[in-house]
Amino acid sequence: MVRKKDLNKQKFNLKNFFLSKINRKITLLFIIVGILAPFLAIFYFYSISISSIPGATSPEIVMLLQTVAYMIIILIALNTGFIGFLLSRSISKPIKELYNATKQIEKGNYDIKLDIKTRDELQRLGEAFNKAASSLAQTKQERQEIDSAKTEFLSITSHELRSPITPMKAQLQMLEQGYLGKLSKKQKESIAIIIRNTDRLDNIIMDFLEISRIEAARLRFNFREIDLSDTVFETTQFMEGFAKEKNIKLVLNLDDLPIIEADPDRLSQILRNLINNAIKFSKQGSKIEINVRKRQNDILFSVKDNGEGITPEDQIRIFEPFYQVEKHSERRYGGTGLGLAICRGIVESQNGKIWVESKPGRGSKFSFTLPLQPVLDIKPIKVLFSQKSLIEKKIKEEFKSMLGPLGENEFEDLKNKNSLGKQDLFSYIDSLTQQYIITFDRGNIFKNKINNIYCEEKQTNNNLNSFKDKLEELKRD
Amino acid sequence: MKKTVLVVDDESDVRKSVRMILETNGYKVIEAKDGDDCIKKVKNKDFDLVLLDIMMPGVPVREVIKHITDVKIIFMSVVRISDARRQGLTAQGNVVDFLQKPFNVSDLVERVKINIED
Repeated sequence: MVRKKDLNKQKFNLKNFFLSKINRKITLLFIIVGILAPFLAIFYFYSISISSIPGATSPEIVMLLQTVAYMIIILIALNTGFIGFLLSRSISKPIKELYNATKQIEKGNYDIKLDIKTRDELQRLGEAFNKAASSLAQTKQERQEIDSAKTEFLSITSHELRSPITPMKAQLQMLEQGYLGKLSKKQKESIAIIIRNTDRLDNIIMDFLEISRIEAARLRFNFREIDLSDTVFETTQFMEGFAKEKNIKLVLNLDDLPIIEADPDRLSQILRNLINNAIKFSKQGSKIEINVRKRQNDILFSVKDNGEGITPEDQIRIFEPFYQVEKHSERRYGGTGLGLAICRGIVESQNGKIWVESKPGRGSKFSFTLPLQPVLDIKPIKVLFSQKSLIEKKIKEEFKSMLGPLGENEFEDLKNKNSLGKQDLFSYIDSLTQQYIITFDRGNIFKNKINNIYCEEKQTNNNLNSFKDKLEELKRD
Repeated sequence: MKKTVLVVDDESDVRKSVRMILETNGYKVIEAKDGDDCIKKVKNKDFDLVLLDIMMPGVPVREVIKHITDVKIIFMSVVRISDARRQGLTAQGNVVDFLQKPFNVSDLVERVKINIED
């Protein structure tokens, strides 16, 4: 692997060498010993020779002896300094390698091998490290296999579930349309209910298929240069049909939008979903605002309704699959419960963000961003069984312990902005230290804790983290 | 003279449903249960239209359509049209339409009618 090469190739660098405390200490120690030892030796040699050799007190001889003495001192000091340098390097280099390798592990690169040949405890540490790394790599691989098996299973079962729907739907529609004779009013009602639910079942299966695609990075985008205003306008016009049923007005506010490369169908899919939700949760005769604005690096879309709003508790979980707002456990709003999860999958696979801002009783505003450049290399996004809520809980705890009672509010604020990503939190902590709200050191502790939470998500072994901490300590000392 | 439609699907319930719908609308329907069966029947008889499923056991559909040269083909499948296109199934000239399963009865009737008449 490249990484291994990188590690071994590390060239000697004077600056780094002096920055390393171990190197400085050992070299200094050797230089002191190297000066003191010969100094003492020569001092005795000098005093003995002066007292025992007759005529040694003559100035010439004293000069000569002094010069020889200084020469010896300097030479030995240089020598011991050099030996100290080599010795300290032989200790600090493998430690540095271990440190770098551990950093790689933290990033999730488990296929890393250290080659420390010092024939001492450090070599054994290196070997233990290699074993730990390879077992982590194995765990990671097993996990990926389970993951892909899950996705595969989802995809296959969804296809299999879909095939019986075809004859069911055909027969039901034949009944409904009188192919098999006239129906009584009650029979018609019954058939209507069956058809409605068959369609719903089919929608759920289709959504499952979509999720299996998102999770397997098999989501297909059809990018082409489009005028965003057209797509937004057409989608809004299409949704107006549904809005009219509840006498709801759709208001469109468009910036001057650039022509960018994007998939109009996917964009429309997300917008339809959000507008559809907004209609569902709006009162008769109210207004829904659709705003589209160009920002520096992306386009910001938002759909704002004046409906009943969403509680903070529900706001975190609303993008999870099958999560329906508690109050509506009757599921009177229909739908598959997968719409927002799919939206999140589509938005995030294009490196965008999707979030909600809401106050109960005062409506909700769903926003998402679309980067100006399309992402061609689609990454798998975890939609099902996401650990999001678990992580958020842990982050919330850290906020409370680091910032006291203020922490909870701050956490909720960030969460509502959907800014709980590692990078978001790091820049938030930076802003705290810059405003002297917390000290720099405390900021670093905070960052470490956040980092640990996210590392756990990557299933990095906890022990490894403490191992890394120890190494860091070792380096610092 | 009634127009004849060959319905190829490995699921008998789908074949039976399509037969009921099309017969009610005045077509003659012959069924084939897979690709081999389809090739055999196309050889021995003239059809006005073939309704062809995509995912079936036996001979792959890619091979099956090579044997159907002078009859219009409508695919009907749970596979999405974009996937079918990617598999190169829609390139052949006599592939005229694509019916997404599960289909609506009215759509089936309409597509068959339009494609069989012109």
